[in-house]
Amino acid sequence: MISVTPKPLTSQQQVQDLTNLPEEQVALKISDLNLFYGDKQALHNISMLIPKGQVTAFIGPSGCGKSTLLRCINRMNDLVDSCRISGEIILHNENIYGKHVDVAMLRRKVGMVFQRPNPFPKSIYENVIYGLRLMGEKNRRVLDEAVETSLKSAALWNEVKDRLHDSALGLSGGQQQRLVIARAIAVQPEVLLLDEPTSALDPISTLTIEELISDLKKQFTVVIVTHNMQQAARVSDQTAFMYMGELIEYSDTNTLFTTPAKKKTEDYITGRYG
Amino acid sequence: MDNLNLGRHISGQFNEDIEAIINHVMQMGGLIEQQLSDALTAVNDTDADLVKKVIATDHKINQYEVDIDDECTRIIAKRQPAAGDLRLIMSISKSVADLERIGDDAEKIAKVALENFSSKQQDLLLNLDNLGRHVLATLQTTLDAFARMDVETALITHKNDEKIDRAYEALMRQLMTYMMEDPRSIPQIMTVIWSARALERIGDRCKNVCENIIYYVKGKIARHLSIDEMNDL
Repeated sequence: MISVTPKPLTSQQQVQDLTNLPEEQVALKISDLNLFYGDKQALHNISMLIPKGQVTAFIGPSGCGKSTLLRCINRMNDLVDSCRISGEIILHNENIYGKHVDVAMLRRKVGMVFQRPNPFPKSIYENVIYGLRLMGEKNRRVLDEAVETSLKSAALWNEVKDRLHDSALGLSGGQQQRLVIARAIAVQPEVLLLDEPTSALDPISTLTIEELISDLKKQFTVVIVTHNMQQAARVSDQTAFMYMGELIEYSDTNTLFTTPAKKKTEDYITGRYG
Repeated sequence: MDNLNLGRHISGQFNEDIEAIINHVMQMGGLIEQQLSDALTAVNDTDADLVKKVIATDHKINQYEVDIDDECTRIIAKRQPAAGDLRLIMSISKSVADLERIGDDAEKIAKVALENFSSKQQDLLLNLDNLGRHVLATLQTTLDAFARMDVETALITHKNDEKIDRAYEALMRQLMTYMMEDPRSIPQIMTVIWSARALERIGDRCKNVCENIIYYVKGKIARHLSIDEMNDL
């Protein structure tokens, strides 16, 4: 018989107070974040604490600002000319929008995976070590080890270990997405941003990625944007509901999906929106 | 349906599914109310035909329970309800289990009419009927509160269960006295005791349904709480 330690009953689990986390448990602190695309304000006074080593999901209807907020966390919005930002995002006691922040270094600490798998037209091996090569790593042994560890962490090693030098473009969609995750974690980030990582995948690949997300949070802080509410309910520890650029409700996932405090949240998660 | 907030889902089919399930619970509730009323009348009037009717109708209640539970399972599988919708489905699923047992209790009570009571023992039945009418009124209020998801009425009805418990205890003391005075009447009195017990249990099951209403409307678990804790809900 398999001996498994059962999960504690819900009443025995402590619900975190997300407004008052001890500093050592905070991965990211977002304070009064406002974002404008030209004249249009896309984010309004967002303030929240994202706990370390957990999965935080952003949900909300299209155009509510959830992807914009996610992209703020590794300054992807810098690439948009008309974008203007005020407020702070603190990572390691430093505002990532500070003057002296090296954006390339920030993106090493905060990795990102997009909706559609985007492997480079190179071998599986080269895809995984791309970031390390950019950082100047040349030691073959270090690179080999990084490939194996990252692919194992991304639950892809067993499927590709005999064809590491084949083109990554020959992998299935689900495998390509896991390869992209392996590439993101090869540089050992602290935070992993996932922007609708399964929306282009079939249900089985989706479940594989969801299972992977649960494993990844042991090593990284994961922030995920998803259109699939059930996915947010399944994979995340806390969920933030956004609407029209505002953070409407942010609480632990169990509470948000059973007894949300705000009517707007209730309407959205029960499909009464529109 | 004041608090049910139905009909606002983007999916019209989901609205129809939920409306259908609620209508079925209401039909089941109506049938159970009739069963308890018939059972009490059958005992009061020693009407064997009415007893047969109550026994024959119980299978309809059982079928309602199975069908409604099945509908709940299908909604969970197909719609993955959340928040208020999920609490509604859970409340319905739990409540129909209690309602089905109320149906079983009504059948038990009706069977008392088949016992032979001497004219001296008739006042025992009168006391049982008094308790029964009190419980029937509670059942009616509970079903009414369920139909409107009226949390205030549910809270009051929940608290009123104490009155049923006290009436039950008073009846039990009276029955004990009868048994001590006339041991030959013990078999008949035992039948009355089982019926009184069934009525008391109906009160408890109404209380459970009220707790389900509170859970649906307020999202708070009202089970196993003291009166003070209930007041804080």
